[in-house]
Amino acid sequence: MLVMLADQAERLLEDHATWEHLKSLLEAPGSFDRELWAQCAELGWPAAAVAEAQGGLGLGFEALALLNEKLGARTVSLPLTPAAVIADAVARGIGDHPSVTALATGERIGCLAFGELGESGLPRTPTLRFADGMLQGERALVPFAAIADVALCHAAAEDGIGLYLVMLDQPGVTRKATATIDNARAAATLSFDGAHAMRIDGGDGWSACLRAAALASIATAFEQVGGTQSCLALGVEYAKERIVFGQPIGRFQAVKHKLSDIYTELEIARGCAIDALAAAGRESTALPAMAAMARLGGIHAYEFASRETIQIYGGIGVTWEAAPQHHYRRSRALALELGAAPFWRELLVDNIFTLAEAQG
Amino acid sequence: MSDAQRLDAAPAEELLAYRARARAWLAQHAPAFSGAARAGLSADEDLALGRAWQRLKSEHGYACITLPRAYGGGGGSELEKIVFGEEELKYDLPTVYFGVSLGMPVPMMLRYATPEVAEKLLPPAICGDDIWCQLFSEPAAGSDLAALRMRATPATRGGVEGWLLNGQKVWTSWAQYASWGIIVARSDPAAPKHAGLTFFYLDMRSPGVEVRQIRKLAGETEINEVFFNDVFVPDSQRMGPVGAGFRVAIETLMIERYSVSDESLSGPAIEKFVCFAQDARINGKPALEDGEVRALVADTLVERQGLRSIHRRALEAIGAGREPGPEGAIRKLLLGRRRQQVGATALDLLGPAGAALTEGLTTVQDFAWSWIDSPGPRIAGGTDEILRNTIAEKVLGLPQDHRPDKGVPFNQPR
Ligand SMILES: Cc1cc2nc3c(=O)[nH]c(=O)nc-3n(C[C@H](O)[C@H](O)[C@H](O)COP(=O)(O)OP(=O)(O)OC[C@H]3O[C@@H](n4cnc5c(N)ncnc54)[C@H](O)[C@@H]3O)c2cc1C
Repeated sequence: MLVMLADQAERLLEDHATWEHLKSLLEAPGSFDRELWAQCAELGWPAAAVAEAQGGLGLGFEALALLNEKLGARTVSLPLTPAAVIADAVARGIGDHPSVTALATGERIGCLAFGELGESGLPRTPTLRFADGMLQGERALVPFAAIADVALCHAAAEDGIGLYLVMLDQPGVTRKATATIDNARAAATLSFDGAHAMRIDGGDGWSACLRAAALASIATAFEQVGGTQSCLALGVEYAKERIVFGQPIGRFQAVKHKLSDIYTELEIARGCAIDALAAAGRESTALPAMAAMARLGGIHAYEFASRETIQIYGGIGVTWEAAPQHHYRRSRALALELGAAPFWRELLVDNIFTLAEAQG
Repeated sequence: MSDAQRLDAAPAEELLAYRARARAWLAQHAPAFSGAARAGLSADEDLALGRAWQRLKSEHGYACITLPRAYGGGGGSELEKIVFGEEELKYDLPTVYFGVSLGMPVPMMLRYATPEVAEKLLPPAICGDDIWCQLFSEPAAGSDLAALRMRATPATRGGVEGWLLNGQKVWTSWAQYASWGIIVARSDPAAPKHAGLTFFYLDMRSPGVEVRQIRKLAGETEINEVFFNDVFVPDSQRMGPVGAGFRVAIETLMIERYSVSDESLSGPAIEKFVCFAQDARINGKPALEDGEVRALVADTLVERQGLRSIHRRALEAIGAGREPGPEGAIRKLLLGRRRQQVGATALDLLGPAGAALTEGLTTVQDFAWSWIDSPGPRIAGGTDEILRNTIAEKVLGLPQDHRPDKGVPFNQPR
């Protein structure tokens, strides 16, 4: 089943995700490829990691990881991760919610809204408040919020932090699509002014929020691994082709070592992502720490690879037409969504003993 | 001792007085040409403002400060030029269009052109009416300039002896606005790659020249492709002997003995990063208390202080009529990478909100623009890798890389 999914993904994306098409998506804020979304929904991608009981295919996060790696390789933006993460949160907290089935079929689109102005990571004491069944406050740029139907967010309630599902097509919600480094992420800010929301955690809102962010980070790490792998392929290919001073630039140690370094970072990122995925499947207590490592590895590898691939390309690298710019933009976008590296670094180091225990 | 050198050796008080005068003059005039005055301008409007600024400077002796007054220059010393440049950089002025033009082609023309030609071509360039571009790089010749393929073949037109240019240049900054250009072309394909080149200046409005803008991944549209189809250039526009083009090209790249660049290579200053860190929080704690953030700030300050010292000592050397040391060569290498790193980290401090890329802001004002437009400076004017090679070979005396095609006839199949 997974192999079939991978083959399908390869074929669909190869036909659809041409650089030209991807460039058109970078042009305007809030861009989203509805046509591709419809096609991949038909193939069951949003349903892949959703449990069968919730109307999904029950293939687990392994399937999402596999798809995300393919998306990342071509810098395609599809909100597969929010669907899977929201389904997981709902299943754990309240069992079921009608919107999950719609997320699995792709009729509805989800987004993960954890970021706030003034905090580099996830706010532990959010300014977004929940009272009397309604949300009040703001969320900083959220990927897919420009086109999503439902958001998962954490907010401060009377009795601590809660995790909430909020429908976005209601009067209390204002979204503002914003020009970003990577317009294909369909990012928007969200303002809630008396927006009805439903609490979905089973009591410990912050843990539920962290779990959602951890799962999303692991899934995203596979996008980053896919992107890094593509940068490496672009760089290696160019280093063999480009003749400077009478020889392929790949003969220069400066270029060779750069590519070896990208490879090294890629394999570390991949290793962390694979092990974090396994930890998610095992219900490990080390999940936050493992997810943090996947996230940090993915961020570092992808940023380094995309930045230095442009460098290897030389002048062509800084053009709109060339391929590396897509990865350069995407690497930064993914590094900021779900909270930037320093937050995850803190989380990792704070959890070092849980990690040691879990790994024996 | 030349006149310029004698002026350079002017006592420090004179230079201080010059700085004070320049500062006062800028305070009076620069605001009308910078900052808010530029907000919301179209590219053409900004260029027009830049031209007006250049003209005003020329009228007051602040344009091309080291070039003769007769051509609209300042007739001043190199130190004065550097001091004025430092003060001018404090404003966000539309000077970028003239950076190449006045930095290299114009001083080269002063050196190579006959007095009649100089009288005709230099004043409009110095006052900003004419922009000159530098047509060196080609698709197959960037770091390796001597690999260029643009052909120059002898030809006579209307009884005038000259050359026909055929081929393509690329990455030519501001060619879309240029009236004139300097160019290197291959006049003898049978000669070894460095020996078969010849250098010219040409009218960019000549028949057969076609300029196409290149869209950058982000930021200002400054680069172009320039196509040459049987473009006639009179032999009187040759600069240097036939076959000496590579030497003249290198001379061009070295002509600015010392150029002033700002301390963050057109990115925001590190102080602005510190302000960000004061406001931002990492996991609820002030980002400025974060060890990694502090380390970045400290590293940047250390590097900046080192570069400041190098700069100051270079000025002292120039003032004393000596050559500045080779350590100036590390500046662009360090600042290019620094700008990219500080930009990325600043966005990290903003977290998810950091992805916003607000139209109308510049790389100096905004970390997102600074970061997204930072790959260019690491490539333009010598890539990081080439700069490292230059330091290793020219400063440290290490042997040159293997060059299989050196000394081999250019047209010999390899
Ligand atoms: C914004 C911008 C403005 C520019 N403006 C102008 C202009 O006005 N006029 C002009 O003539 N040119 C201009 N250029 C061109 C610029 O000079 C070249 O892009 C630059 O010299 C690199 O050449 P290239 O792009 O062909 O890259 P290449 O030379 O093909 O280099 C590709 C990669 O190989 C590496 N490499 C090459 N040789 C070696 C080596 N020996 N050892 C190790 N690594 C090596 C490079 O570092 C780079 O990473 C501009 C470029 C940019 C980006």
